[in-house]
Amino acid sequence: MNITILFGTESGNSELVAEDLGAELGAHHDDVEVRDLQSFDPSELSAERFYLVICSTHGEGDLPNTAIPFAEAFDAAPPELAGVRYAMFGLGDMFYEETYSQGSEHLDRRFAERGAVRVGEYGRHDASSWDLPSDAALAWLPGVLAAASVPA
Amino acid sequence: MTTVPRPQIAVVGSGPSGCYLAQAILRALPTAELTIFDRLVSPFGLVRYGVAADHQHTKAITRQFDRLFQGGGARFAGGIRIGDDVGLAALRDAFDAVILATGLPADRPLDVPGADLPGVVGAGAVTRALNAHPDAPTRLPALGGDVVLLGAGNVALDVLRFLVKDRSGYAESDVADEALAGYLAAPARRVVLVSRSAAAASKGDPQMLRELAALPRARYSVPDPAGPADPASPAGPADAGDRTAAARAAAVAALVDPDRGPFPGPEVELRFGAAPLRILGTERVTGVELDVAGERIVIPADAVISAIGFAGEPRDEVGRLIAETPPDPASGRLGAGLYRAGWAQRGPRGAIPENRASAKLVADELLADLASGALAVDGDRPGFAGLPPETRARAVDYEHWLVLDAHERSTAPADRVRRKLPDHDAMVGIARGDAAAPHPHP
Repeated sequence: MNITILFGTESGNSELVAEDLGAELGAHHDDVEVRDLQSFDPSELSAERFYLVICSTHGEGDLPNTAIPFAEAFDAAPPELAGVRYAMFGLGDMFYEETYSQGSEHLDRRFAERGAVRVGEYGRHDASSWDLPSDAALAWLPGVLAAASVPA
Repeated sequence: MTTVPRPQIAVVGSGPSGCYLAQAILRALPTAELTIFDRLVSPFGLVRYGVAADHQHTKAITRQFDRLFQGGGARFAGGIRIGDDVGLAALRDAFDAVILATGLPADRPLDVPGADLPGVVGAGAVTRALNAHPDAPTRLPALGGDVVLLGAGNVALDVLRFLVKDRSGYAESDVADEALAGYLAAPARRVVLVSRSAAAASKGDPQMLRELAALPRARYSVPDPAGPADPASPAGPADAGDRTAAARAAAVAALVDPDRGPFPGPEVELRFGAAPLRILGTERVTGVELDVAGERIVIPADAVISAIGFAGEPRDEVGRLIAETPPDPASGRLGAGLYRAGWAQRGPRGAIPENRASAKLVADELLADLASGALAVDGDRPGFAGLPPETRARAVDYEHWLVLDAHERSTAPADRVRRKLPDHDAMVGIARGDAAAPHPHP
């Protein structure tokens, strides 16, 4: 499987999760890349690859800063995403109940509206828990990979 | 055969900006040899000593920074004050590049008459005491029954939360119990928070206000017209700023909602659109005179806590350099090979995550100087190994810190996550496994 891990971050935690997932996947898959949403153009999204999107939450349930240029480019020229499959992992803090993990959902909505299909469980990490975000993501990964290996 | 020279880079300050900067440099330049200095024996600066003790979820960011030291990518050199123990010139001789990320450790002074009366306290001093900072006294000054809090940013809201909470509000925290107990023995009966801005335009995060509303403590009122106020955004799509302002106004409205219920704790007045004119008193504080919409109002006060920002502390060479160089959010370059980052660069603005973007900017400047040759790396600089032997011997490394960290966790009372020692020499002794004879200068 060709896998692209995309991350949007404000404090760096999503980037760390993305790197850890990349290291884990790199041991078993030849073609794994980790990309910052800040320097990723929505037109690059392709049915040839499987996407793991790792995204935190900022402010009032908003996208983190590094994901904003991606969302703006996406809205300016919405890509055709039929055939694209992805999995979503959101970071947030249950301490702020109303906005918990909402940042990633802004991306999830955009992907779904353009025909991409989310596979596997919607992963979440709660900063108020004492789990490390990477541990939660690594525990989430096998289920997502199993779901992704089933042809669409 | 040529070898690629390894740039020797020193970061002064191990708070969030110093750590973000080190991450950014190592990502772009994995061969760099980084040393992160701190005057304290513990790393992480503001996260450990500035973030409120009852916000452990924010302090969890240190687990990201631990990676820097765990992976061997960066050396921690604690207990060394650059500009005092080691001169900046000596550091610049030993390293190819030096980045100052020392923060702004002092409370910005109030500029109204009476600001130096006994009873006027900085919010940073309060936060440091509650975090057992080695420079802070172990007890808070007596605040009395009437407390006036100047400012409405996140630091002011941290202090307000402290003033309204009882002991149960600190479960699973690392609060300094001696300081807390001193306050709880005679807590405030009335707190007046004074904000120059209207509620919607004030500086605190809406989440911080919602947290206060959700606490079953204190009764809130807003006596002035600048009050819970509608953000009155014009028609059209609301941007994130509008939504933040609206959320802030809604959070204040929730605080003063008559249905919120009568809770124990102090009466809290939130005075928005109010400017302090002077602090009243002769021997010590007795009140604060405010200008509210052109009207002069006197509020009685036993203590005034100012939460109006932070400033440099010019007590050594590095502190003076930072204090005397105006903030420049666009650049951290003080000269080729000398940079500053974080609050030392941009002023005391933004929460921890916002300093990540700023650290990247400064890292990019340094990398651009390396690429252009403005910053030449010839491989001759010794880095940490070139510092005087007594300095190297005195430096507390990351392994030492882990010993102290384990000690703090293992000695924590039942409902605390750690117990911090407020005495720096004792901390050094424990870190070195020499608890019997703690001494900072072996």
